[in-house]
Parts: sequence; structure tokens; C-alpha cells
Amino acid sequence: MVSVINTVDTSHEDMIHDAQMDYYGTRLATCSSDRSVKIFDVRNGGQILIADLRGHEGPVWQVAWAHPMYGNILASCSYDRKVIIWREENGTWEKSHEHAGHDSSVNSVCWAPHDYGLILACGSSDGAISLLTYTGEGQWEVKKINNAHTIGCNAVSWAPAVVPGSLIDHPSGQKPNYIKRFASGGCDNLIKLWKEEEDGQWKEEQKLEAHSDWVRDVAWAPSIGLPTSTIAGCSQDGRVFIWTCDDASSNTWSPKLLHKFNDVVWHVSWSITANILAVSGGDNKVTLWKESVDGQWVCISDVNKGQGSVSASVTEGQQNEQ
Amino acid sequence: MEELDGEPTVTLIPGVNSKKNQMYFDWGPGEMLVCETSFNKKEKSEMVPSCPFIYIIRKDVDVYSQILRKLFNESHGIFLGLQRIDEELTGKSRKSQLVRVSKNYRSVIRACMEEMHQVAIAAKDPANGRQFSSQVSILSAMELIWNLCEILFIEVAPAGPLLLHLLDWVRLHVCEVDSLSADVLGSENPSKHDSFWNLPGNTQTLTELELKWQHWHEECERYLQDSTFATSPHLESLLKIMLGDEAALLEQKELLSNWYHFLVTRLLYSNPTVKPIDLHYYAQSSLDLFLGGESSPEPLDNILLAAFEFDIHQVIKECSIALSNWWFVAHLTDLLDHCKLLQSHNLYFGSNMREFLLLEYASGLFAHPSLWQLGVDYFDYCPELGRVSLELHIERIPLNTEQKALKVLRICEQRQMTEQVRSICKILAMKAVRNNRLGSALSWSIRAKDAAFATLVSDRFLRDYCERGCFSDLDLIDNLGPAMMLSDRLTFLGKYREFHRMYGEKRFADAASLLLSLMTSRIAPRSFWMTLLTDALPLLEQKQVIFSAEQTYELMRCLEDLTSRRPVHGESDTEQLQDDDIETTKVEMLRLSLARNLARAIIREGSLEGS
Repeated sequence: MVSVINTVDTSHEDMIHDAQMDYYGTRLATCSSDRSVKIFDVRNGGQILIADLRGHEGPVWQVAWAHPMYGNILASCSYDRKVIIWREENGTWEKSHEHAGHDSSVNSVCWAPHDYGLILACGSSDGAISLLTYTGEGQWEVKKINNAHTIGCNAVSWAPAVVPGSLIDHPSGQKPNYIKRFASGGCDNLIKLWKEEEDGQWKEEQKLEAHSDWVRDVAWAPSIGLPTSTIAGCSQDGRVFIWTCDDASSNTWSPKLLHKFNDVVWHVSWSITANILAVSGGDNKVTLWKESVDGQWVCISDVNKGQGSVSASVTEGQQNEQ
Repeated sequence: MEELDGEPTVTLIPGVNSKKNQMYFDWGPGEMLVCETSFNKKEKSEMVPSCPFIYIIRKDVDVYSQILRKLFNESHGIFLGLQRIDEELTGKSRKSQLVRVSKNYRSVIRACMEEMHQVAIAAKDPANGRQFSSQVSILSAMELIWNLCEILFIEVAPAGPLLLHLLDWVRLHVCEVDSLSADVLGSENPSKHDSFWNLPGNTQTLTELELKWQHWHEECERYLQDSTFATSPHLESLLKIMLGDEAALLEQKELLSNWYHFLVTRLLYSNPTVKPIDLHYYAQSSLDLFLGGESSPEPLDNILLAAFEFDIHQVIKECSIALSNWWFVAHLTDLLDHCKLLQSHNLYFGSNMREFLLLEYASGLFAHPSLWQLGVDYFDYCPELGRVSLELHIERIPLNTEQKALKVLRICEQRQMTEQVRSICKILAMKAVRNNRLGSALSWSIRAKDAAFATLVSDRFLRDYCERGCFSDLDLIDNLGPAMMLSDRLTFLGKYREFHRMYGEKRFADAASLLLSLMTSRIAPRSFWMTLLTDALPLLEQKQVIFSAEQTYELMRCLEDLTSRRPVHGESDTEQLQDDDIETTKVEMLRLSLARNLARAIIREGSLEGS
């Protein structure tokens, strides 16, 4: 049974494009076409506006919270080609850094797993992906991958941190050697996987081809301790594919069609414990999917908009064992 | 083989606008966010009135109920006890233990029901009262189902006593609800039979009983056929009832509150020694006869029917659908699993049924600010995905107080979840730094074994010292112990403080050597050398010679090193000039002191010992 526990009136004056809960579910960040980013304290069913951040000169498309071990940090990206990093210092939120390295709208921002440090990936309509790494004392190092996707990049999503071998303590402060990877989706109908080489440069590792139109969103599933990697991608062509790679080293990805929807699919996201995929489509519905043991993806719920105050129960669909 | 459950349920989010706008969705750590949006990213959105509301949605809202909390807390204890029951136990002793566990669970449900009932009566607002009352009926249904499962699956009552158990069951539940009417039919006749059965210390075998009953039954039939009671229609119908005639029984329908009451009554009169495997024949037909095609079975009816048919999986499935939280199915399934009743059947979603339900239930507990602690134990007993689920959930617990943080850390440490420990300590260290609690930040970074952060905090300490001339959190720094080795900067901080201590204790020679070694071993950051050299001044100016000639040479070397390679930063010209002035004066003073000390040291070392 699901219930609406809180309705937050954001007072945004225009369309809301993104809403993200922070790590603990205590704060909500929202952004809108009205060019503002707002932060609310939503504990105990309440809503207190903590910050109304202005700085973008166009609709703000996405916001992303960094891991709390780095402090209270929020990134936002906008049509105005800029990425802004906001930070809470002494109780007030301020602009901490501005990245203006793109020639066109920045569509997506995603923080890397905290194990890698404080790194932000940004995908833009100019086809490039930039990676901002915090190096200390307010400085950010920028690496840019030009022409990552022709026409434009719509989404970026990091792979969860996987430590090769066993994790040994490094008292002198050396970090274990993580292999950093992320996925991007673009207007060239492709999903690309990127890997950081030893020299610090980013290289295209894989191309995942299955869509016949622009890829709108990619989401790399959180790790649940199994060696498989899973990526969900959705496209203008109405299809959602689930890509799996059974082994970190084998590098062969196989797609499985989740579903063909009747309209553009805009957004896919994984639940925190990785077992449910939410798909938001142009058909004004959100569907929730789960994988059954025989590898089939089953729709377990339809979340729809509507009038009236009905809350129905969410059931687990079960599938014929054939 | 399970069949496809039809279309997935549609959940409507109230208040979200109609066909016009699309729906945005995202996951929070424990909840879901929904709002209206337009995915088509254009610079100017059309003049469609946009909705500024964001809906935060949760499953598992029951965790917030005050009264149910007692249910969760107490059943948690029973659950743990069950897990620890010796696996070696078999046969009768094991069964009796399992039955006891089942009864414990039931008594917890009843206690909860009682309390909620009281609240319902006392409720000032009738709507509230109604809500509590409906909760009471749900709990009552839960206990009804559980009790039946206990009789059929756990107790596994053999043929004879089965009916007695069912009679008790009906009497307990039905007579509660419909006290007066049920009493009339329920108690009247069984009293005759009670003496017949002669309960405790029953020395008759089942066959003997059955024979006796047959004999008595035939006698009744003869009376009916002989029309012995033809004069009294009441007595005749009573006779028919006692013969188990369904039509006669149904005539008294209003006295039977439901079909299972009808079922048990019917069995009592027509087949009291019914075997468990034959139950389902009677069950289905009783349901059909009782409803008589006028109404359709409700969810509760289906669940009970499934139980009578010994279809455990169906019972669990139906309960999962009908109930609003996972408490019931999780605990019942776990118990049945301990009775070895669940085969490795249909492994859905990567783990067996028991584990799947326990994981869902435990995840729900994590939504609550204090019930999450119960969830930890449930995860512990899920061998496949319990650990990784716990890892994912425990990191998301808001650490609002130090106490809570310590509690969470202890849980992680007990389970060797080193990654989580590290991550949580880092978060706390960062928080402490932002609140200027450097000592706290340092101890958290040490616990996190985070060298980089330790360096950062140490730098802050040193900076503070430079500005204020004293250290904060001396206790902590003095007692670093081996943790000092975590980072070079931290080691320096510890050693530097040691230097000050030695100086305070007038152990000048030791202090001097330490000071020198800090520079020569390169542990001291270059930026601090000037401060260190300045710290050496009082030692150089002492009456006695402290630094040996060798050491003085070293110090001079360090000074020259420092002055020859002075970095030029982007300071303004005037600032630099001023700094230069101060710097030059300092350097000159040092040079003078060092030279004087060198002279004295050479003299002392050159002459005989003693001065």
C-alpha cells in the first residue's frame, strides 16, 4: 500500500524538471524552468524552504546531491550552458563554483561514487562530456571528452565503485586502484561506456547499439554484491533495454528488451537497493519493473496520475515459470 | 505453477493533473518522488499552467503507527527466539516449541488488538474511531488466519482432535464477534458431545470413537425415519441438524455468522473424525452452500479456503495482496519455513520466499527513525541478500545525534562492514570540521583511517596554533598513540605537540633533538619551518648550550635552505615588501642566534667536560 506522506509546495513559477532527495531523505532539491534551484527540509512530513538559489540564466534541467562525506553539496545544470556547484557553508547555501565549458545546453549531471573522490560528470547538447574533479582549496580540474555523442549527449550515469581484488588498508593515504567507469546516452542513438585509463584520460570502452532514435536516459544499477553489471537505457523510440554484463572482465554486454512503450520514454531510474526500475514515459505513467529469477522483467505496478484520493496496493506480479 | 496475476495494479496519485502533463518520478532513499513535468526540453515552456507540487510517497506507512509499534517490537523478540531454536531438536519436542512460538505471535496480535480496541472506543473523533476499528478487524482477521494455520500446518492435528481444534477456533473467533447468536447454536449441542468424547485422558482409540459415533448416528437416523418426533417440528429439525443435514443447518443460517462456522458445525454432525486431507472437500462446498450464489467470496474467505486446502503458498500470496504491510506474511512464512513446510519453490526475485518477505519487511522498518534497529536483526537472518541489503540501508540512516552515529557504527563494526564504517566516519568528520569541532573531526578521521582528511584537520590545528599561539583539544593530540602514523601531517602535529610538552617539562636537550629531527626528516611541512626555527630561538638563547655544534650546523643548513628558495606567490607588492621586512628581521635574528650558539658549542665541545 502506498500513501502520499507529504506534498511539497515548491512555489516554482514554471515547470519542474527535476527533484532529488538527499542521501538521507531529509532534504529535497528541485529545479525548474523558472531558473531557480530550491532546497527544502522535508523531515517529519513538513516543508521548510532552506534555500532559493539563483544563478542560472535559463531553465535548469537537473540537480544532483554529492555524498554527505564531502559536505552539503549540490550540482545543477541548465540550458544556459553552465554547471553550477552549490555548497552549504556556515548554514547558508552559496554558489561555490561555476563551470562554463560547454557550447550548448548541459542536460545531465551525475556525481561519481564517493570512493573516487568528488567528481562530477556533465553531458551537454554540444556533444561533449566534461568531468570536474575537486582537487582541494576550491579548485576543480576539468577533463573534457569532445564529440562523445554527435548532435548531443542527453544523460550520464556512473557505474558503482567496484574494488578490484581485496580491499586493503592504506594508512599512508593511497587510494586503492578503482577502475572508474560511466555510461552516457546521446542523440546518436547510442549508449557509450567510458573508462578512465591509467594516464588519467578517458577512453570509449564500449558502444551499446540497440535504439533507433535518440537515447534519452541511462541509469547504471547500484551494486548488490553480485558480479553482474546492469544498465537501463530508454529512448525516443519508445523502447527500454536492460543491458547486462556478467563479468567485469569479459566486457560483453547483452541487451534485453524490457518493453516497447507507445510513446517516448524519458526517464529511467533504479531504486536504491537496486531491485526495482522505474520508467517514466510520455504516456503519463510511471511503471515499476522487477527481474524475476528466470531473468524476465515483470511489471509490478503502474503509477498513474488521476483525480480522486485512491491509493491502491502495489502487488508483486508473478510469472509463469515457463 | 503460479499463473500470471493479471494486470499490475494501478496506483493513482491524487491531485496530479489530468491528461495534460507528464509525470516525473524518482527514488529517494526510502520513498518516491512524483511531480508533474514536461520532458520535452525546450527553452520556453508552453503556457501550460504548471503544478508546483511535489508528492512524496511511501510504502510501509504502518511503521509510523504507535500501537503497531508494540507488535513490531514484541514479534521481533519472538522472531529471534525462533531463529535460535536448536536445529537438532526433532519430533515432538520441536513441534511443541514451534506451537509455542505460534501461540506467542498470536498473543501479541491479540494484545495489539485489545489496545487498539480501547483506543477506538476512546476516540473523540468518529472518523478516527472508525479507522481504529477497521484496524482492529484487520488484526482480528490476521489472528483468525494465523490460528487456523497453526492448527492445520503447525500443530498438524491428526484426524480425531482436528475437529476439536476447529471447534475451539470457531468458538474463539466467531463467538467473539457474534456473541449471542453463535452461542445458541454453538454451545448447545457440542456440550452433549463433549461428554461423549470425554476429552482429557481419552483412552479410546479413534476407531472405537468412530464406531461409537456411527452407532449413535444410526440411532438418530432411525428416530427420524420412524418419525418419533414427528409431532414436534422443532425437535425434528434439531434431529436433522444432528444428522448433519445441510439443508437443515442452512435453515438456521442467521445463527451461523459465516461459512466456516457452517463448515465446522457440519463436520461436527456429519463427520467428526474427518481427516485433514479430506477437509478441502467440505470447505469448498460449505463456502458455496453458505453464500448460495448471492454474494462472492471476500479475500478473507479465499485465504481461509486456501488454508483448508493446505495450499500454503496460496495463503501467503493472498495475504500479501490483502494486507497493507509485510509483517504478517513475513513472520508466518518464517515460522512455516522452520516447520520445513516450504519447499524450495518458485525462487522469485533471486531468493526464496521466506527471505524475500523478510527482506521486504525489514526494508520497511528502516523507514522509521528507531524501528530500523529491529530491521538489522531480520537482515542478519537472511543468508543470501541480507548482508548487502543491510549495507545499503544502514548508510542511509540520518546521523542526527552522536549517540545514533555510535549505535550505527557499532552495528557495522560487529559485522565487519568496514566500508560502511569508513564512509560514516568520513561523513561525521566532515560535519565536525564544518562546525569547527576540530578534535571531534580528528578522532572521526582516525577512526575512518582517512589519511587525507586527517591531514586536512591537522593543517587546521596548525593554522589555529599559528593564529592563536595555543592548541585546542590537547588531550586528543597528546594521546594519539599509533594513530599518529595515519598521515605525515598528523604525525607532525603529534610530534610538534610533544616538543612543546618537552619544553614545558624543561627537557631541553630532548626537545631540541626532536625539533631538529622534525625538519631534517622532512615530516614538517616547509611552510612551517620558519615557525619551528623561531621556536628554536629560546633554546638557542638559553644560558647552557643545548644544541650541539653538529645540530647547529643542521639548523643553519635548514635556514639557508629555506631562505634561498623562498617561493613568490601572487601577493601584492606592498604586502610582499612588508612580509619581506619581517622575514628579513627574523632571519637575521636567527642567523645571529645560531652563530652565537655555534661559537659556544664549539668552545664547549673543544674543552674538557664539566662546564
